[in-house]
Amino acid sequence: MTKEAISPGRGPSAVRRILGPAPLLGLLTGALACVLIERFFGQQVSDLLHLPKMPVLFGILTISKVVAGLVNALFKGAAFEGIELLQLPAAGVYFAVVYLLPLIGVGRITAGAANRAAAALARMPLPASALVHLGLMYVTLHVWAGMSDYRLITLNLTLIAVLFTLSLNIINGYMGEFSCSHPAFMAIGAYISSLFTVGLFVDDKVLGKALVAMPMDYLTFPLALILGGGAAAAGALIIAIPSFKTRGDYLAIISLAFLFIVKSLFENLQVLGGARGIAGQPDWATLPVIFAVVVLGIWIINNFVTSTLGKALNAVRDDETAAEAMTVNTRRVKMTAFLVGAFWAGVAGGLLAHVLRYINPAMFGVQKLAEVLAMVYFGGLNSVYGSIVGAVSISLLGEALRPLEILKWIFIPLLLILVMIYRPTGLVAFRDFDLRKAMGPRTDSRPKV
Amino acid sequence: MNLNFFMQNLINALQWGSFYALIALGYSMVYSILMLFNFAHGDIFMVGAYIGLGVSLVLLKIVGSGAAALVPGWVVLVATILISMFLTAFVGIIVERVGYRPLRDAPRASAAITGLMIGIILETSNILFLGGQRLAFPQLIESQTYNLGGVFITNKKIMIVLVSIGLMTTLHQFVTRSRWGMAMRAMAYDFVVVPLVGVPLNTIAVMTFAIGSALAAAAGILFGLAYPVLDPYMGVSFGWKAFVAAILGGRGSIMGACIAGFMLGFIEIMTVPGIQIVNRLFELNIGSNLRDLIAYSIVLAILVFRPHGLFGEPYSAKLRL
Amino acid sequence: MRKGLLLMVTLIGLGLALSPAAGAANDVIRLGFPIPLTGENPDVGASSKNAAEMYLKQVPTVVVAGKTYALKFVYEDNEFKAESAVKAITKLITEEEVLGVIGPQASAQAVPAGEVANNYATPMISPWSTNPNTTLNRPYVFRGCFLDPFQGPVAANFATEEFGAKKAAVLYDIASDYPKGLAEFFKQAFEKIHGPGAVVAFESFTTGDKDFSAQMANIVASGADILFTPQYYSEVPLIVRAAKENGFSKPIMGSDSWGSGDLMGLCGDDCKGLFFSTHYAAAGAQGATKAFIDQYSAAYGKTPDDVAALTWDSLGLMIQAIQNTGGLSGDIKADRTKVKDALAAIKDYPGITGKMTFTPEGDPIKCAVVVKINDQGQFAFHKSVCP
Repeated sequence: MTKEAISPGRGPSAVRRILGPAPLLGLLTGALACVLIERFFGQQVSDLLHLPKMPVLFGILTISKVVAGLVNALFKGAAFEGIELLQLPAAGVYFAVVYLLPLIGVGRITAGAANRAAAALARMPLPASALVHLGLMYVTLHVWAGMSDYRLITLNLTLIAVLFTLSLNIINGYMGEFSCSHPAFMAIGAYISSLFTVGLFVDDKVLGKALVAMPMDYLTFPLALILGGGAAAAGALIIAIPSFKTRGDYLAIISLAFLFIVKSLFENLQVLGGARGIAGQPDWATLPVIFAVVVLGIWIINNFVTSTLGKALNAVRDDETAAEAMTVNTRRVKMTAFLVGAFWAGVAGGLLAHVLRYINPAMFGVQKLAEVLAMVYFGGLNSVYGSIVGAVSISLLGEALRPLEILKWIFIPLLLILVMIYRPTGLVAFRDFDLRKAMGPRTDSRPKV
Repeated sequence: MNLNFFMQNLINALQWGSFYALIALGYSMVYSILMLFNFAHGDIFMVGAYIGLGVSLVLLKIVGSGAAALVPGWVVLVATILISMFLTAFVGIIVERVGYRPLRDAPRASAAITGLMIGIILETSNILFLGGQRLAFPQLIESQTYNLGGVFITNKKIMIVLVSIGLMTTLHQFVTRSRWGMAMRAMAYDFVVVPLVGVPLNTIAVMTFAIGSALAAAAGILFGLAYPVLDPYMGVSFGWKAFVAAILGGRGSIMGACIAGFMLGFIEIMTVPGIQIVNRLFELNIGSNLRDLIAYSIVLAILVFRPHGLFGEPYSAKLRL
Repeated sequence: MRKGLLLMVTLIGLGLALSPAAGAANDVIRLGFPIPLTGENPDVGASSKNAAEMYLKQVPTVVVAGKTYALKFVYEDNEFKAESAVKAITKLITEEEVLGVIGPQASAQAVPAGEVANNYATPMISPWSTNPNTTLNRPYVFRGCFLDPFQGPVAANFATEEFGAKKAAVLYDIASDYPKGLAEFFKQAFEKIHGPGAVVAFESFTTGDKDFSAQMANIVASGADILFTPQYYSEVPLIVRAAKENGFSKPIMGSDSWGSGDLMGLCGDDCKGLFFSTHYAAAGAQGATKAFIDQYSAAYGKTPDDVAALTWDSLGLMIQAIQNTGGLSGDIKADRTKVKDALAAIKDYPGITGKMTFTPEGDPIKCAVVVKINDQGQFAFHKSVCP
């Protein structure tokens, strides 16, 4: 089942066959049922299976822990109790009982009702229908993350990674450049938003006493994020303007040079804490806030890339000269793409700063670059689905394989190389994210709306 | 601020630039001929240094060291460089087979990602087999410092600069004079049509990677002599910076990469005394820590005024993305 | 489809039948170690783990108020990254239900992780983090090492008294917060003794730089009497060599970070005769310190670095505090607070790196020693300085 979880691109048809005619609404209901089952019976099930604890990340973590123990026992002669091997089937069974079977069961049973509901929703205005789906999704995530704070922090960081990956996909996927400066945009967003929140509302050693005391100061958080994003977008101008004259490879090193410059700048700005960074951001980036911001980001970016401007972006990627000849204002297109991409990267940075409640320049180096590039290209270019799949799977894999320690950094790169060889544009590349179609009913008799 | 001080920095910049130039050469060859970013190249440099470490330790064991040695240190050094270049070439060939050949028709960015991932695998395997701690590179030749009127030069610095220039000249001769070199240049000109007239693409690709990796190995060993602390991540920042140098040199210009490498080293080193001079002249207090900031701002400025690199030609139609 | 379902049901049945018997794990004290087992500095993680494993071998059980508990250590990789450190410590506290946490080591991970530990009211000792933010306003967070404001003046005074230095040069890594902090405190202290401008060269570089020749040229030109470089063991050999090659022949001195890792293996003869301030001197050590060094060298084939020694002491402090609680209730949340209170109340804990008492901030007060690297390449005791 891990295979299905990590590579939906490989067999969507197989997944569809098992899930039957359930629409998105039905699947979300099924997922909600799963997390409710886990919430109320998860402990009992894991006790019954004699698992030491309720598995946190769908049982993959449990499995990789046992595998790691086995590897250590084989190569380093560490102590290993054979009985632990039995946790392998137990974790699988847990996953099946708590997640897989309820999802399929509820999905199939409620398929009829869900399809009718989906059809009814489809007749309603799009925002209403979207809100129902999002509400269901949020409740599911909330219940799932509510069971353990470790799940919560993983989920928060994963959502931020989704936004960050998607914002890079605008430039590297839709526009077809190879931009390396995204960690720099994230850094700018993180620093400016922290400067705003820590500087104004928190007593801090580096930034001085709180300037403002407001009872509802957390309501200013969106403003902090917008400021962060705006500053990142302003920084993006430095990259966007040379991109008028050059593209591809030279842009790659311009952006790389920009990354080095920004990192060096933050290391040297003593007013921002230098290498020590800024700590003590207020605890405002909670799950609902992050969920709302990320959904908003996905929605706006999706609208952007499916708009005329987005199509112009693809035209620039495929042939700039031809696009210019077809009256595409390439300068405006490139500029907008960079600004939008950088803005959302900055917002993601602002969220990250307030989740970790600590930032330093070293966090935004070439390591982060390699990470986000991996997510974009693994998930798939030119596709909102792809960025979501890429960010979620790499984040979760990274977390679930944690017990493997050093071997994790052999396993994940190998997986990525295989994906690149067999699906060079990524798992779910070049697929449109059509909200109406995704949420619509799934009966073949009815023409798809 | 006198001439001595300037000369001292110039010599240091020459040595530092030779590493960038040697590594940038490998980048530039792959980039010119196959139009790929070989992001694993920085880590091949690291592997080359470690192979050099292993080879030199084995050789020292065979011939003995110190006064009891059978042959002088420089013989061991030359042997180490040659053997390691040969061995590391195979690493390059394997990287090409595994990471790049299956992706010949894929978007270029995908190949860049496999390169990045192969780099991570190389680093991780190093930690896996050798543990995380740093290793010392054996000093094969006795270090001697000459004081030329206040300018300090070591025999190693001279040797490093001479060996790198020698390697570069050899490569230049090979590329411009030999038949294989001609095939390479043809491939760099157009690698869709040129294979049709009978130039074997795969052989040229393998050769490109082998030569690039061998040069990286040489750079690794010279680096080990100058800065005798090896660590698994030593290639990362070198890799990215040499990448900048390679592209800055311009596509299709191998010598351009060399010059850009030396230039990058020069900019990085000279920024520090430059800041000092500015501080004295204008009574400012800028710290030498702004080195990266200023050095890469200069790179950025160069690219704004020469958007196709120092010696590259503008192109857009042939971009295979 | 039906076949698949059948297979699944069979598997579930099999799983239920074969599932392992629940092990009774009541009398266990679990301690968490969020340490960098991968990432840029795996040797820091390895040293911490070595010290902990050695401790566990020696002290497999502890007796708290007459009841014997087995010790169990949980190691979690923090990849030397802030994000990962936050996840790792959250996992240790909420999933592994550890009683206390030893680590993370470096400040870049210890500062955000300390926030998490404090929020969950779990005692945490960072053995190696020197950033004031790590323990600032966090009653549950402690550290095992002394802070830069103490070590800086130690080095400045030593340079003045031992070498009669009037002008000093400093070379440090601006991007790494430990060297940077210490460099600044040294500058402050030195200029307090010799007047403003006494630090004639204050040169910096960025993490990962290998070439220091440009900075060294500046330092030589500045005419400094001594070079202070609070860098890590992997950079010191390169700095010392750059000094030699650029014609700097004055003394060079450093800080405790010199003692992490295999300095002499990397530096060889170049480093002999140099001084640095640190937590303990390995050569000529006595008592518990000597026993620790001997055992560690025997087990892992190298002299313990300061990470290992500080981890050992932090672990000892934690165990001591657990014993001082006077009995654990079994309610992990209450017990964590009890341990924290006991930690804060410890007086003069006899650690191998000196006697330790925590200030209200959670920082230890302890003595520093200045060691000289002798001609055998050992770190020999030269002088002890107490606050």
